[in-house]
Parts: sequence; structure tokens; C-alpha cells
Amino acid sequence: MKVTTEQFKRTALAELDNARTQQFLQILPLRLSARRKIAYESFPDPVAAHAYGHAVRGEAVERLPELLQTFEKNALANGARVYWAEDSRAANDYIVNLARKKGVRYVTKGKSMITEELGLNEVLAQNGIIPWETDLGEFITQLLEKPPFHIVGPAINIPVEDIRDIFMAKGVLDAPTTDPVALGKAARRFLRDKFRDLDIGITGVNIAVAETGTLINVENEGNIRFNKSSPRTLVSVMSLEKVVPTMADALHMLRVLCRSATGQSAGAYLSFDSGPKKGDEVDGPEELHIVILDNGRSVMVRDAHTQEVLRCIRCGACLNACPVYGKVGGYPYGWAYSGPMGQVLTPALQGLADAGDLIRACTLCHRCKIICPAGIDHPSVLLHYRHKDVQADPVLQGRGVAPAERAAYRLYAHIGSRYAFWRIFAKAARWVANRHRRGEAIHKIAKGTEGWFSSRDLPVLPRDTFHDLWRKKRKRDKE
Amino acid sequence: MSADARQTILNRLNAAAPRPLPPRPALAPLRECAMAAEPLLEAFILRLTEQGGVAHRVAERGALLETMARILAREKVTRAMAAADSVVAPLDLGAWGRQIGVEIVTPADFKDRGSYTRAVFDEVQAGITGADFAVAESGTLVLVHGARQARLISLAPVLHIAVVPVARIVPVYETAMAALYAGGRRPSQVTFITGPSMTADIQGTPFKGMHGPQKLVVLLLG
Repeated sequence: MKVTTEQFKRTALAELDNARTQQFLQILPLRLSARRKIAYESFPDPVAAHAYGHAVRGEAVERLPELLQTFEKNALANGARVYWAEDSRAANDYIVNLARKKGVRYVTKGKSMITEELGLNEVLAQNGIIPWETDLGEFITQLLEKPPFHIVGPAINIPVEDIRDIFMAKGVLDAPTTDPVALGKAARRFLRDKFRDLDIGITGVNIAVAETGTLINVENEGNIRFNKSSPRTLVSVMSLEKVVPTMADALHMLRVLCRSATGQSAGAYLSFDSGPKKGDEVDGPEELHIVILDNGRSVMVRDAHTQEVLRCIRCGACLNACPVYGKVGGYPYGWAYSGPMGQVLTPALQGLADAGDLIRACTLCHRCKIICPAGIDHPSVLLHYRHKDVQADPVLQGRGVAPAERAAYRLYAHIGSRYAFWRIFAKAARWVANRHRRGEAIHKIAKGTEGWFSSRDLPVLPRDTFHDLWRKKRKRDKE
Repeated sequence: MSADARQTILNRLNAAAPRPLPPRPALAPLRECAMAAEPLLEAFILRLTEQGGVAHRVAERGALLETMARILAREKVTRAMAAADSVVAPLDLGAWGRQIGVEIVTPADFKDRGSYTRAVFDEVQAGITGADFAVAESGTLVLVHGARQARLISLAPVLHIAVVPVARIVPVYETAMAALYAGGRRPSQVTFITGPSMTADIQGTPFKGMHGPQKLVVLLLG
């Protein structure tokens, strides 16, 4: 998947002008947020349940090395194979080699952001193996070669006419229709053939349980269950932060995840796999390959802010709460992860070099932090990234700032921290600003401030400050 | 090389300075934990129905088979596949099906995995299974897959009929999972089923039966 994060502004402007995007953004996030709120009421104490999820995820990312080793030991005891991949290339190579060894022409995939991150589809295709996405939304975005619009509904914004046309072109549909249900049924028939004669299925992982070596997936369609049940070989790809200590922790996180993602108390299907099928079972995979992916995450634990980002459970609640996502949708974020979730995760994995606009597309309103079931403080992480960016941090590849800008802010800090200087500066600044008044507002001041004024006006500034007025009053009182 | 990668990754993770673990707040048990049997059953039916499932309560074997016959007739099922689990196997559905004109097969009727797979995908219109537990908190069926509970029977056919003795209704997931994973037991797969297969991926239009069953009927026995 091509990363287009550096085009954030351009894509955002295009999406703001896209009537269909705007129409969906007025419905989808609000509807999901409302459903989530109702679903949380089923907890006797929703606040405690929310906080308990924070603690589970906080503990998981703090105990990562120990939990991963426990998970590995138990997964191996269950009969699974475990492959540790340092980066995308290692993970993709492993999966491609496995597919080659089995001599398969195609694989099917359950919806997983992690394989989007890997760019696995492109690599499989380059090696002559057709990857079929099987989640309906992912299937559509794959055919259209588009990134996911929303983590819960990747293709929810795509017009039915576009789906009809691509389904006709790809032989999914026999006769044209724009009925959403008929389009879905056509995809069902098309993918069913793939599932029936399947050799290798590939899925992501929602939660890995250390104490039992169990992999858990959450879904509504049943495509992940097919991926895990029909083929002879199953590949489950998990990023290394997916592990939690116990099954009890996993059950709590499932409750929180389903409520946060779709407002359901449970997704239609939750599946718990501990190893491949046993000898006396008629279906299920004979081989289970678990790929544990690092791809930059093991460095993230060093810093408290980036470690916190690893708590994310990919529920998408922050997208629905975010006023920026609510206007621009998922495309500007330019990768598998959109919304506040993407803004904190993408820079940690890709660096800050192309993420300048991404980390600044935030009003610091804190709604994501409040809603996050994993306890991530997105606004603080974004401020941390902005700091690292101007500091030209070598680990995060911050871009630094021009010497003139740095000098200007140094001077400003010098003035601002000295009372007498500040009073003179403020007085001069008021005079300069008011010289540009147009009626009761100031629309621009000097060259170089157009950015600030592009979305705001300054009211005309009074001649006297509060301090001035106070001093005058005191003087009058004395007289 | 995976062993090197493993060590590199673990070394990097271990290099971080330890931070205190966040405290776990007190968590009140879900309301279902305090419910008696009958309200629990009602809660299960309510949640299941909210998620698009259908529940019928049947008093005994005769009523169960009568209801099942009615459903199979209504859905025009001529061939169904039944699991061999401890709820469904004693019903001897094969013999019963012949009386009502529905062929009911089990995975054991097929000579290999390939013919079983073709049958469950293409030749039957319904899958009939028991359930190990039914969880009231979310209207969820818990199926433990194994030799007697093949995975695709509750997934591939367009109709899934599940038979659940009411004694198997439990308040919360923990009750079921504690029993299933007790003493180091590790079922190869456990599935939680809450309603039929669903999607709303095209224009937010919800519909049932995207990949799995379009209809889920739960027969509560007892």
C-alpha cells in the first residue's frame, strides 16, 4: 500500500469538496458514537469498565517481552508455528515462501490493518499469487485500489454505481444492479468459491492471550471464520503489541472493543484459536503459522509517549469522536490507519519526515483521549511529535525548523519572559496590528502571517490593556 | 532468520526502562451474574433477538422436533448437515429426517475432507448443531469445535439451527471459558456466535447472510 501521508492537505481539500464524503461524514461517525454510548450502559459502572481497559492495555505494553515469550511458549505447545518478523519484508517473504511451497495460485484474507501495513497484497501479486480480500468493504477497496475510508466501514463512502461498475468489470456481477444487498450477495457467491477450494487463509489478530497461546478475531461477516476453518494452512499475522496477560483480560477487552467499534455487545463472530486442528477434526487448518511482527514497534517502548500508542486496539472510536476526521474522512491520513489512531501510530512507524501536516491536523480538543478504551492520550502524543519534529529528532526523523524561525522564537521567548520588554513589545504589536484594521476586524498583518489569518480574524485591539486601565483607575481613586 | 529476529526484538523490548504497572480499578460484575435462571433465559433471548437471531422455547424432545420440522419446511430445506455433538447426536436426526422427507447427513457420512467440504458448502441448506453454552450477557452461543463439532456446519449453510438445553445458559463469558479451558485444556477453536452473519459495508445498508448464515434459529430445550 502506497503511503500518501505527505499529501494530507491536498487530499483533505479534495475531500472537503466531495459531496458524497461530506454526506457520509454527517451520518456515520455520529451514528457509531451514539451506538457506543448506549452499549456502554450495559456495564454496571461504565467509567470503571473504561478505566479497567486502560489498565489492561497499559499493563500489556509494559510487560511485552515477558508476555510475548509466554504467548510463544503456549502457542508452540498448542502446535502452532511461530515466526518473528523484524520488518515488513521479513513477514512478506515468509508468507510468500510458504505460499510457494504449498504451490497455491491464490490466498484469501480476512480484514486486517496489519497486512495493509505490510503491503502484503502487492507483494503476493508480484509473486504471481492472487490475494483475495474477503471482508466486503475490503474486497471493494481492493478492487478499486483505494485505502480504507473508515476502519469499521472501509468502503462505506463508495457510491453503489462505482461498486456496480467494478463488479461488472471483474466478473463478480452477472447483470448490473445498484441494490446494495444484491451487490453483497454477488460478492458472497464470488468469494464462496474461493473459500471452498482454499489452501491458505491469512488473517490478522485482534487479541493474543499469553496464558493460553490463543488468537482471537472479532468480526460480523463470517469471512474470518471461513479463513480460519476452510483452508489446510492458516497464517495469522499479529503486531507484537496485541498480546494481553490472561483470558479474563481478553474477555474484558472484547466487551470494550465491540462496544467501542460498532456499539454491539458482541460482534456476530468471535473466534478463539489455540493451535491447528487436532487429528480427529474434519475441518480447520492442519498448520497454523503465527507471524509476530515488529516493524518498528520494539523501539516505541523506549519513550513513554510512543509506548502508550502501542495500547491501541483499533476500535475506531477516536475516528468517530474527532472533529478533523469528521470533516476530511479517512483518505488524507494516507495509510492503513486513519483518524487520531493513525496520527499517533503512523509517525512512530514511518517517521516524521512526511508527517508534518498529519501531526498538526489536530485541534487538541481531547475528545479522542476521552473516548479511547485503551487509555491513549493522543493530544499529548501529538504535541510530543511536534516537539520532536522541530527538534529534528534523529529517531523519529524530525524535520527541524529554518534558522530564521528558530531565531525569531528565541527572541520572542527572551522578550516574553521579561516583564518590561514584554510591555513594550505588546504595546508596539497592538499599534502595528491596529494599523491594518478593516472596520472592526483585522484580516491580515504582515507578510508571513497569512497562514494564521487564513481561517481566523483578529478583533481590533483596544488602545489600553487591562493593566493600563487598572493603573489609571488607581490613580483616579487616589486623586 | 527468525531466531535472530526474535532475540533482536526481545532485546529491544527489554532495553526499555521499567515503568510502574497501572493499577486495576475495582470492576463490578455484570448484572447477569446476579440473575436467577428464568430472567437469565429471558435476557439471553432479548440480546439474541436484538442481534437478529430467532429463539423458540421447546419443552421436550417431541416439541423440539416438531418445531425443527416446521422451520425446515418453511425454509424449503431438503438436505441438512448435523453435527455429532452431545446435544444433537442423541436426537438421531438422520432417522427422523427420513420420516419427514429431509436428508440429514453428518460429517462421518463423507469419505474425505474434500467431499465433506463440497457438501457443507454446496449441497445442504441448513446446519444443525448443539451449543456448549449460551451466554446471557450478549445473547451469544458458544461452540467448542472438535471431532464432534465441525467448524463449517454452523458457518457455510445459509440457515443455522442451534439446539441449546436451557441448563447450558450461563450469565457471562467467564463462566463458559473457565469450564472450557480448565486444567490446561486448549480446544483448537472456540466460536462465539451472536446472531446471523451481518454487514453494512455498502452505503451503510445492513443485511444478513454476508458470508455465513442468513438466519440463526436457537431452539431452547427444557
